[in-house]
Order: sequence, then C-alpha cells, then structure tokens
Amino acid sequence: MSERQLAEAFVEIADTLVDDFDVMDFLHQLTIRCAQVLGVSAAGVLLADQRGALRVVAASTEQTRLLELLQLQTDQGPCPECFHTGRPVAVADLTTATHRWPRFVTAARQIGFASVHALPMRLRTDVIGALNLFDSQPGALDEDTIRLAQALADVATIGLLQARAIRHREILAEQLQTALNSRVVIEQAKGVIAERRHLDMDQSFTLLRSTARTNNRQLSDLARAVVDGSETL
Amino acid sequence: MSGHDVGADRVVRIWVQVGQQSRGDPVSVAHVCAAAVAGVKVDGAGVTVMVSPTVRETMHATDRVAGELEEWQLTFGQGPCVDAFRGGGPVLAGDLRGADCLARWPVFTPAALDSGARAVFAMPLQVGAIRLGVLDLYRTRPGPLSPHELADALAFADTVGMLLLDGAAGAQPDTAELAWQRDDPTAHQAQVHQATGMILVQLGVNAETAFARLRAYAYAHDRRLGDVARDVVERRLRFKPDPPSGGDNEQ
Repeated sequence: MSERQLAEAFVEIADTLVDDFDVMDFLHQLTIRCAQVLGVSAAGVLLADQRGALRVVAASTEQTRLLELLQLQTDQGPCPECFHTGRPVAVADLTTATHRWPRFVTAARQIGFASVHALPMRLRTDVIGALNLFDSQPGALDEDTIRLAQALADVATIGLLQARAIRHREILAEQLQTALNSRVVIEQAKGVIAERRHLDMDQSFTLLRSTARTNNRQLSDLARAVVDGSETL
Repeated sequence: MSGHDVGADRVVRIWVQVGQQSRGDPVSVAHVCAAAVAGVKVDGAGVTVMVSPTVRETMHATDRVAGELEEWQLTFGQGPCVDAFRGGGPVLAGDLRGADCLARWPVFTPAALDSGARAVFAMPLQVGAIRLGVLDLYRTRPGPLSPHELADALAFADTVGMLLLDGAAGAQPDTAELAWQRDDPTAHQAQVHQATGMILVQLGVNAETAFARLRAYAYAHDRRLGDVARDVVERRLRFKPDPPSGGDNEQ
C-alpha cells in the first residue's frame, strides 16, 4: 500500500460523509478501497440483524460466489466468531481451519482464497457487524496493516450509523434495520434489471450503480424506483 | 445480540407463542398481535396495511388505545407508523413525553398521550421495496424495548408480513405448527430477492405478487425458497403469466 493511496482512500471516504449521503454506495466503495489499500483480494461487510443473524451488505466485488461465501458465514466462519467475541479473527492459512469451519473453508478455497481476516465493527459496547478481508495468498497481515484495517472498519461504522446522531440504542437499531432493508431493495432491483436486459447480477449492479452516480441519485432510491416500476433501466 | 442459532430458536419460540393464541385454528393477524402483546410485554398492538399506493387502513387493533393510535396516524399523516413505513426501519419512541417526539410528530404526540399511550414502537412490514404495512406496539408506561424485546418484536412483524403476503397470494392459512415448519432459513438469501425482481418482470406484476408467487411455488413443490430462487437466478426456472384458470408455471 502506498501512502498516497491511503490518503486518497480516507479523503474519499470522508468526502462521502456529508448529509444525505448514500449508505449502500459508501459501503460498497469502502470495501473496494479496503481491498486496494490493504493489498487483499476482496473485502466484504456483514451486519447484525436485530433478529440475531448476520447479513451481507456490501462486497468489493459483486461476484456472486464471493457473496455466497459471505452468506455462508452467517452459519459458520471467522466472521460470526469475530462478531460474537468482538475481537479480530486472523486465519493466516485456511487449510488449518478445515475442522473448525468445514463448509466455509471448502467454499473459500474453491474460489481461490487462502487466508481470511475479520475485524469487528464496534460502536462503543455494541458490535454491529464485521469487516472481512480475503486474500489469495496465505499469511497473516502485519500489525500495521491490521491497525489500518481496524481504522477502516471504524470509519465504516461511523459512516453507516452517521454516528453523530447515534446517542440511543433505539436509533442504532432503526438505522441498522433501514440499511439492511436497503440491501434487499438493491437485490430486488438487480433481479429486475438482469431479467429485463439479459444481464448477469454483477452487470446489473454495475449498471444500477453507474446510473445512480451519473444522475447523482442515491443507490437505494434508484433501486426502489426500478422495483416499483416508476423508472426503467 | 446473538448468532444464527439463537435466530432460529427465536423463530420457533415466536411460532409457539402464536400457536398458543390460535389453538389449532388457521393463524390470523389477530393471533399474531395477541402473541406479540404477551411476548414483547406491551399493552396493545395494531396493524395498518397498504390497500393501494395511496390508501392505508387499519386491519387489526387489540384494544381501544391501539385502534386510536392507528387512527391518529392515518388521520394526521404523522407518527412512528408513518415514519416506519417510509423509512424501512423500525421507529422506537420510548417516551412520548420527550421533547424529541413532540418536535417530530407535533399533532400525533399529544393525541397519542391523550389516548393513554406513553411509548410507541413501529415495526415496518417490509421486504425490500415490498411495503405491506406496519405493526405498532404501545405501552402505557415509558421506557425502551430491551434488545431482546426488539428482536422479538421484529420477528412478530416478520410473521405478520408473511401472513399478509401469503394471504394476498391466496395461500391457505396454516396452523401455527405447520407454518413454523415452513419457516425457511434460506428466505433471507440475496438470491431470493434477486429472483423476486426477475419474476416481477417475467409475470409483469408488482414485487409483492412476484415474491408471493415464488413462495407459493416453493411450498407447492416442497422445496426451500433459496433453492427455487437459485434456479430462477440461474435461469433454469421461469415463471409464466397465469392462464385465466391459474396453475403452475414451470418451463
């Protein structure tokens, strides 16, 4: 990672933290930046649903298999462990974790990942989710990189919750559930676009996102309009 | 907050509570409301549903206060229910005497206090862009829901939402025992929502109908929702518009 890249990442992230910013686009952008800056192959964010389950909200690549892998972690994997303990989980070599998380490790290795790190997303005493880092090379991230990754996870938390406004646990719950519902709207919109334009899900997401950016629209607003038919892509 | 196993346990527990209310009869929204009142330890519950994009109406209220809360929100166009419906997340007003509530809902708040409510918790009945309505819970005493109560309240809201969806699709209401066995851990996978979007286009219907049809197909073929959704997303299964008599749509 170069210092310039790093500075750019933080500036870009800070830049999105204005009023009325787009949470889903922000998280997506953050995962891309994490992968670049930390020098890993892919990154993903899972958030805890108030109902007690982890849900995928963003990934640096919309590659369906990566999303599936993240999804699989809602049953088992480094991410739930990180979430439950509130501490980082490092798996420098996935082959050593076969017994611990057999399904997860098999799927991760099939996609070509050799190591995984998970970092908690914390707001004071609450753990709200986790940031996952996947790499095609085995090996633990060094201490500086971990610290930087945790800083990015913290920024993600702040952005997600617009933390200036979070004084009560109630508001935390309200905003988390709203964000999770936005993710569902985006998935529904991807389906609409995929079917209408004969695209795959990745292409559909790219089209949705680029259209939102070009027209200066919020990703979740545009997605909602696509699903309810008031706009066509 | 807790993990997947606890989430699954919660689903079972919620359905047991609903079953205690319905006593073997087909499950109705009234049964779920009664179970929510007992389970979340609130004083009453009400459900407002979308009849059309502009018309909402109260479907059920467990008592006079709950009925009036729904009525005030529909009349004044403001309140936790209105915000939950618009925003997509729960709206939790732990103390209506707080200044923030009065500022946020200047007309609704005094009316709700007059009716006898002190705290109102509104849970949207939503699946992404599908907006079915809102479950409102109230208490006569102030104070927030505990994290555990909030999780249960959201689970009750999910249950009401699924009843509304399946009811709209003409699916037979189940006994609670059958219904919870159907509760499908794959229902939250991304592909389920992607498939909903694809079916919406295939059938030329709205998202609510598309999702109901996907669920109905999974029930009818005794398959998990996530597996059927994957077939749709990978284009092995298409839905075709109904012939006048109905019927299934495999290709």
